[in-house]
Amino acid sequence: MKNLAVTMPPGSSTTPTSVVVVEDDPASADVLQRRLQANGMKVSVGRDGGEGLALVREIVPDLVLLDVMLPDTDGYDVCLRIKSDGAISHIPVIFLSARGEVVDKVRGLSCGAADYVTKPWNAAELLARIDAVLLQARNARPPRLEPQALRPQHARPVASIALKDGARRASAEKLLAARFDFARDGAEVVDLVLIDEGATPERELVDDGTAVLVIARGSETPSSEFARLDGELSRHAELLVREMRLVRDMGAAADALITLATALEAHDRFMMGHSERVAGRAVSIAALLGLDQAAIGTIRLGALLRDVGNAKLPPPIVHKPGELTAHEREAVERHPLLGEEILRHVSPLAPILPIVRWHHERLDGAGYPDHLPAEKIPLEVRIVSVADRFEALLVDRPDRAAVTEQEAVRILQGAVGRGELDPAVVAALAAQVRSGAALEGEQ
Amino acid sequence: MKNIVLDATSDTARRYEHRFLVNEAVARLALRTSGTYLPLDRDDRPYQWSTTAYLDTYDWRIFRAAESGAALQLRVREYHRTRPNEILAGGSVYFEMKDDSASTSFKERYEVPTSDLPAYMRGDQKLPRDENGLVERADKAIASGVRPVVVTQYNRIAYAAPDGSMRITADHNLMYLAVPWIANEPSSMPCRIGPVIAREPGVIIEVKWFRELPRWADELYSYVRDHMVNERPSKFVVALRHLLGEEQTGLSK
Repeated sequence: MKNLAVTMPPGSSTTPTSVVVVEDDPASADVLQRRLQANGMKVSVGRDGGEGLALVREIVPDLVLLDVMLPDTDGYDVCLRIKSDGAISHIPVIFLSARGEVVDKVRGLSCGAADYVTKPWNAAELLARIDAVLLQARNARPPRLEPQALRPQHARPVASIALKDGARRASAEKLLAARFDFARDGAEVVDLVLIDEGATPERELVDDGTAVLVIARGSETPSSEFARLDGELSRHAELLVREMRLVRDMGAAADALITLATALEAHDRFMMGHSERVAGRAVSIAALLGLDQAAIGTIRLGALLRDVGNAKLPPPIVHKPGELTAHEREAVERHPLLGEEILRHVSPLAPILPIVRWHHERLDGAGYPDHLPAEKIPLEVRIVSVADRFEALLVDRPDRAAVTEQEAVRILQGAVGRGELDPAVVAALAAQVRSGAALEGEQ
Repeated sequence: MKNIVLDATSDTARRYEHRFLVNEAVARLALRTSGTYLPLDRDDRPYQWSTTAYLDTYDWRIFRAAESGAALQLRVREYHRTRPNEILAGGSVYFEMKDDSASTSFKERYEVPTSDLPAYMRGDQKLPRDENGLVERADKAIASGVRPVVVTQYNRIAYAAPDGSMRITADHNLMYLAVPWIANEPSSMPCRIGPVIAREPGVIIEVKWFRELPRWADELYSYVRDHMVNERPSKFVVALRHLLGEEQTGLSK
């Protein structure tokens, strides 16, 4: 088979330059595509603005060559959309257009294009301009940070069962299997060791963070040291491991609190998984508003733990399906204060306390518990409030049916009109819902 | 508190002002015609980015007044060569008051140091009174609590008579954007602009004049009116309708 490798300029990278050409005239696109491919570039062609933009988002090319006059929109609009999208805004754009008036060029460049070339183009000049633009883009691009390695959020703990009796060992393994993995070779430090009374665990298996549980043969009350070989063993052991992790790692403390908050929701079929959804929604709104990673982390944790104060309220009130009495409502409205009370001694969680305490405040001052004026409510809190109300509207409640995302946005826009919610946060949510709906429409 | 106004301009009479949404072809013809009779506005670079933050109260009094036909708009305007992604980052801004009714307007414009803007928005610092009484009216809105609520950005090309008697502008790439503003404090500045709420699909042509239009402009006005996509309310009204989900026109989003 003949080798069809393209000729690359000396010293160039072996990875071909990827170019998206947005051009509606097939003949022009074909000529341009051949010329670029002959110079070692990988070319994809979009026949209109929508197709071109979709290609740019999909491929994330090194360069976009953009016609101004397109059937569905104009090149200026496409360029602005590229430059407004953080994921692709770094890609340089060169306009290729028959429109050669000064105002056309100025307009193209003011939309963020790196260059403007008029048709008919000269191949040598066009290639020289492409090289110059690519060089500039490579030099200007800030160093990319490697994405942070994610720790598994809910990694299963590892247990070692050091019980002498084979039957007891098998029984313990069966009881723990749902919640623990097991160390087989005995060479790694584990989270939990089960031992017989009077025994000591092997030194290789334990460190300061390992929970050691004695499996009693008698009637000892289960504690942080003793456990019985029964149905409670798994839960008991897991709690103990969690306790050890709390001491070792404040991150695990937050995790346990989240588990608590989630467990509280699990008792209410209408609210199950609500906090996770609120956190996810709040994080994407925050990203759309351009908040930094630290703030986004605070928002996520705050959203997950905002209702932890419910743990201090009587469950029948928290999970009451119908309308609350005035007395019950008064109690429920204390949950932000109770939540803050639970968390305020955990100093690493200090940044999320405003979210926990104020997520029911409103810009018009009619919220609770502090009736804060708008200017005192931080953006992070406003974001969680909107995400909370939005996600609540999407699920059935005893007193009303779930609504669609679009309808929920309209309801929240009404709340903005009444001065309750932050307009920019709701606008970001609306943009997110709109782009989700557009994606669904394309599929 | 000291009051520093770097510059001020004001309209001496009510100005007629009509806005049309047109397609690109009509806009090009209008600009060519205007360029034959009028010079480019000496204050404008063609297609520079104009970024305007509009203010309103927490109960949207200014918007509601504008919807009912007449309002005093409060806005903060900046100009840039390339599109900025934040507002109030420069040394000075134009704090403007515009009495906007169905077809006429009055405008006062004060250039103020950006660092002083929060104090003006809180009402702690006052602008000098003007002959048209706009500052006095603005003070009442400010006393009710105003803050930036929405931003517009567009490329403007402007042709203007040297004596200021008429002005024709074309705004391309008009976008309405959210602005996550927290408090009228220096710590809120600069403020990153939020997501795009909506985009105008065409070009906004504005014709502004005192007294009466010359014959050529009158003919151009009629042509644009006959070939427009539709007439537009002010950018402020369109932006707020989108922000509050009350839009009545089909813009691209």
